[in-house]
Amino acid sequence: MTARPLPYAKTSDGVPALRDPHMNWLVRSALAILFPPTGDLPGVDNGGLDAFVARFRRETPWLLWLGVVMGAMVFHLTPALTVHVPLPAFLLSPALADKHADRIAGSRWYLIRQAIFILKLPGGMAWGADPAVREQFALAPMERDPGTWRTS
Amino acid sequence: MSGHVAFRGRDEADFDGEADYVVVGSGAGGAAAAVTLARAGARVAIVEAGAWRDPDDYPISAYGAMRDMMDDWGSQVTVGRAFWPVVQARTVGGTTVINSAICVRTPDDIFAQWERDHGVGELRAEMLAAQDVLERELSVEEAPPESRGRSNLLAMKGAEALGYPESHYMRRYVNGCAGSGQCLQGCKKLRKQSTNLNYIPETIARGGMVLSCAPVDRVVFEGTRAVGVVGRFAHPASRARGTRFQIRARKAVIVAASATHSPLLLMRSGLRHAALGKHFRAHPGTGLFGCYDTPIDMNTGATQGWASTGFRSDPGLKLETLSMPLELIGSRFAGGGAKLIERLSEFRHVAMWCLAVRAESEGSVSRSLFSDKPVVRYELDRGDMERFRQGMVLIAKQHFAAGARAVIPGVAGLPYKIGPDDLGVLEEAPLDPRRYTAILSHLFGGCVMGRDARTSVVDHRGRVHGTTGLVVADASVIPTNLGVNPQHTIMALAMTFARDLASR
Repeated sequence: MTARPLPYAKTSDGVPALRDPHMNWLVRSALAILFPPTGDLPGVDNGGLDAFVARFRRETPWLLWLGVVMGAMVFHLTPALTVHVPLPAFLLSPALADKHADRIAGSRWYLIRQAIFILKLPGGMAWGADPAVREQFALAPMERDPGTWRTS
Repeated sequence: MSGHVAFRGRDEADFDGEADYVVVGSGAGGAAAAVTLARAGARVAIVEAGAWRDPDDYPISAYGAMRDMMDDWGSQVTVGRAFWPVVQARTVGGTTVINSAICVRTPDDIFAQWERDHGVGELRAEMLAAQDVLERELSVEEAPPESRGRSNLLAMKGAEALGYPESHYMRRYVNGCAGSGQCLQGCKKLRKQSTNLNYIPETIARGGMVLSCAPVDRVVFEGTRAVGVVGRFAHPASRARGTRFQIRARKAVIVAASATHSPLLLMRSGLRHAALGKHFRAHPGTGLFGCYDTPIDMNTGATQGWASTGFRSDPGLKLETLSMPLELIGSRFAGGGAKLIERLSEFRHVAMWCLAVRAESEGSVSRSLFSDKPVVRYELDRGDMERFRQGMVLIAKQHFAAGARAVIPGVAGLPYKIGPDDLGVLEEAPLDPRRYTAILSHLFGGCVMGRDARTSVVDHRGRVHGTTGLVVADASVIPTNLGVNPQHTIMALAMTFARDLASR
């Protein structure tokens, strides 16, 4: 009998963290539907989304990341409630997925609305930081956050 | 021993220190107490959970602000019917680094209320004298005309047209505002007078010490006397725990870790008071976006520059402007998909103005079973929700009076936009807090002061009942809802308590 690899590993603060890259994909695919290119405005999937999701996952407390993953799961598993199609959102046609994105964000159920709100938070940050998006709003591109502090 | 000690890894030796006074927390309360004690000739050690970030270290983006400046990325939410964020900083300088530095004197009725309801009657003269000092030292000035920005100017126009009382450009601890709209990320222009730029360096210059990245686990007692604090360093990026630290206090420990963390620290330290963690209050608030025909560019100019305090007593509200960065609008606007992006395309044409409710509802702060974070139980009662709704109507009217063609109320179940003829929709909006996107911005209570040890945690000098050498000097001692921005009151209280300590 061979030992199966654990689906998780310990992070530096000792908290089990899901290592499955499907989680990143789940989040990024939901964000891409929530923030699509529209008119002159680029969507969130404008080149840097994978790197953003990976960074967000690495830098946030595990509970916040868990909330975002849960939001993505809710997003993908609820088209039956919004567009009455029993498929996950990532299998919907672009038009149906877009309709689902709008309807699920305005769900009459509070917990669903909150789950999507948490998911939209990193999406909005990634979208709003994109230089191509900022240019459309006459905003200067943002410099990189230093991420530094006094060490002595 | 003086200077600054930052994160120390597990491979380094434990850190032991000693000072006359140990101050837990470096925000408005902690820094004001520390510098007062240092000026009186005492050796002071400030112990701060967050990292020390200078203006060159300040983030640019909202992402960076949440990561680098906020307590747990700002992910703390209330437990109740609705999950409303509780915004607090975790950095040297505390929330003074990321707020708008709004300076409002403690209203006279608050002193009267403290005396009548809590037996705390002799603070007024000392606190007002302290506020004189603060205003002079921290360069309090009205938002200057050249940095007001369109959002603040329009807010004034709308308020004047409607005759809103006490409409004014804010007085802030800002020396020559550059109008860069970066208050919430920390002012890189060095104009905002956050405590990491003044009182904390002065405390060090007077022989004090700062430990950053140093969350305190508990206050150490010998009998009933507080004699120091212990904790373990925490890395600001990885959150990995480092080596242990222990700071011994020759005279007293001053806890100023915020309205949520101070009661929690006292609980972790084994204190048992019936009122500990109770009487938690807040200013819950929300923002309404006005949609204008011409660009507003609300991130140009002072982040917050206009306010009205005229509704503070009736119905119990504060109105103010607040600019929101593009990166946070994406989650704030309703909807998803192409419709969301179309809504976001209006960004340059919207201005957000806010209401904060002087809420009478009380909540509590308690320990979590699963983490070292506080659990904040809080929700608004019907009366406060009605005030909340009234505030929304006032803001919507103000937008229309300023020329907005529509208002985005941000209430689930209501139309995305309403016009000037649709105010009835807002007036009849549901009172269910789950329909609203709100935050708790100003927090009070948890270690409230009062004469009676059965109903309060500290006395009129911040001294914890039943102990010696332990003082609380932050918003957690405030037993009532101020109805105005609390930084000036917190700093004056802390200075008053510290002067009392130093005089003994």
